[in-house]
Amino acid sequence: MASQTAFEQEVGQLIVDSLNLEDVAPEDIEPEDALFREGLGLDSIDALELALAISRAYGVQIRSDDENNRQIFASLRALSSHIEANRAAS
Amino acid sequence: MTDTRPNLRPLIADTPAPLARIGERWIPRAAFLADVQALAERMPSARAAFNLCQDRYHFAVAFAAILLRGQMNLLPPNRGRTTLAEIASQYPDAVALVDGPDAEIAIPILRVSACGEAGEATGPIPEIPGTQTAVLAFSSGSTGAPTAHARSWEALHAVSSQALKAFALTGAPAPTLVGTVPPQHMYGLESTVLYALLGPTALLAGRPFYPGDVRAALTDCAPAVLVTTPFHLKACLRAGLEWPSPARILCATAPLDPETAGQAERVFGCRLDEIYGCTEAGAIATRRTTREADWTTYTGVRIHAGDDGRARVQGPQHPEPVPLPDHIEVRDAGHFRMEGRLADQLNLAGKRASLADLNRRLNAIPGVLDGVFIPPDPEAETRGVTRLAALVVAPERSEAEIQAALSECMDPLFLPRPLVRVEHLPRSATGKLPRQVLLDLLAHHGQCA
Repeated sequence: MASQTAFEQEVGQLIVDSLNLEDVAPEDIEPEDALFREGLGLDSIDALELALAISRAYGVQIRSDDENNRQIFASLRALSSHIEANRAAS
Repeated sequence: MTDTRPNLRPLIADTPAPLARIGERWIPRAAFLADVQALAERMPSARAAFNLCQDRYHFAVAFAAILLRGQMNLLPPNRGRTTLAEIASQYPDAVALVDGPDAEIAIPILRVSACGEAGEATGPIPEIPGTQTAVLAFSSGSTGAPTAHARSWEALHAVSSQALKAFALTGAPAPTLVGTVPPQHMYGLESTVLYALLGPTALLAGRPFYPGDVRAALTDCAPAVLVTTPFHLKACLRAGLEWPSPARILCATAPLDPETAGQAERVFGCRLDEIYGCTEAGAIATRRTTREADWTTYTGVRIHAGDDGRARVQGPQHPEPVPLPDHIEVRDAGHFRMEGRLADQLNLAGKRASLADLNRRLNAIPGVLDGVFIPPDPEAETRGVTRLAALVVAPERSEAEIQAALSECMDPLFLPRPLVRVEHLPRSATGKLPRQVLLDLLAHHGQCA
């Protein structure tokens, strides 16, 4: 499998924790695989839960009218880079 | 002698208030009517049409065009292919009015892309026979195919006028309805589409989903009425944002606790009214949750306890008394308390399903020898949504295959998480499956995984 960056591991942990994915280990999430429907099989309820966790952890507000909303949640890699690009400067 | 005159009712209210807001644009009622007439002309003759439009303006145009053609709006409980096929088998001439890219369905489709730019209709507002069935809303019944609940156009007029009065939505300035609920849901249809068609309010075409979306919509559309669910309201409160103050919050689909209602009134700086309703009867009552635990019926709607223990409701919108799907304690004809759901009914994030129906569908999958859904412990729901689990005996089928088959006939929310394959179910001598034994088996699986 493709290897995760340190930040992808961190976001993977956030996904597993916020969605209570008991059967999934963060390091097992393929960085390029789809997060929703295929892949982890997540749905819109998960997307909302994940958006809340991302908002709390990184101060990034996910918006569904973002033109690239589909891409943001496309994979762990896409989500991580969206957060990195938009997180509040610390 | 029965009065069989059609009792004509207008398609939309005659008011100067705009009907909708799309992005930055207000859509006047005459422009909406032009869109409706243009779509109606494209529709084939039939008894009914599926209204699957996701954009609320598209949905409203499709809804009105279906009425104008003398047809019924078919509103399925979910978009699974099996579900749609079951309904379509009853209405073989129905087309599906759609606006999304994801219409992989075995029904002829008609695309709706109206956006208020087809000019302005002239002439009088069209009238629709009050007795015409406007909507067939389907719920997943406990037996067999989805159950249809018919609502006539005069019934929808009646409930809309009751609600517009109850929530003081008839005055100026006309508010905009910001809805987080889909228009296919009975609550969404009534509170985010009909209030705009039949009253001086405008509907927001978009469906804000994330808290950031809701905040932007409330800011753009002031004065706004937020039409939402406990699930979405809690998400907004947990987001820890600064909120603009709407004129009012309406909340339905599951009971809201008074603490959350109080927090919402403080954080949003407005009053919150809950609506009680169901697919079977539509909205029938309201309460201000921070002040009262009992529900007060809409004007003209009366409730009584039935001989079989099920409460029944009847108002101008109900030709016959309608049994309610909850445990109800009737105080008097105009007040009641909801004590809980009937045993078979599940409610996850505001979506209802029958446990018996889910089990029947699981066991109908080829290769599934036995299987059972396990509902979450209602006490365990702390944050977010707790999912169903399932134990399945299916030596020849993979978990992914079973999940794929389930997703064709139920809302994704009800897909089991986890789905555990076992050698056999721990049935008792009478064939029963005690809940604790099922939970133990699930926990055992968790330790082995």
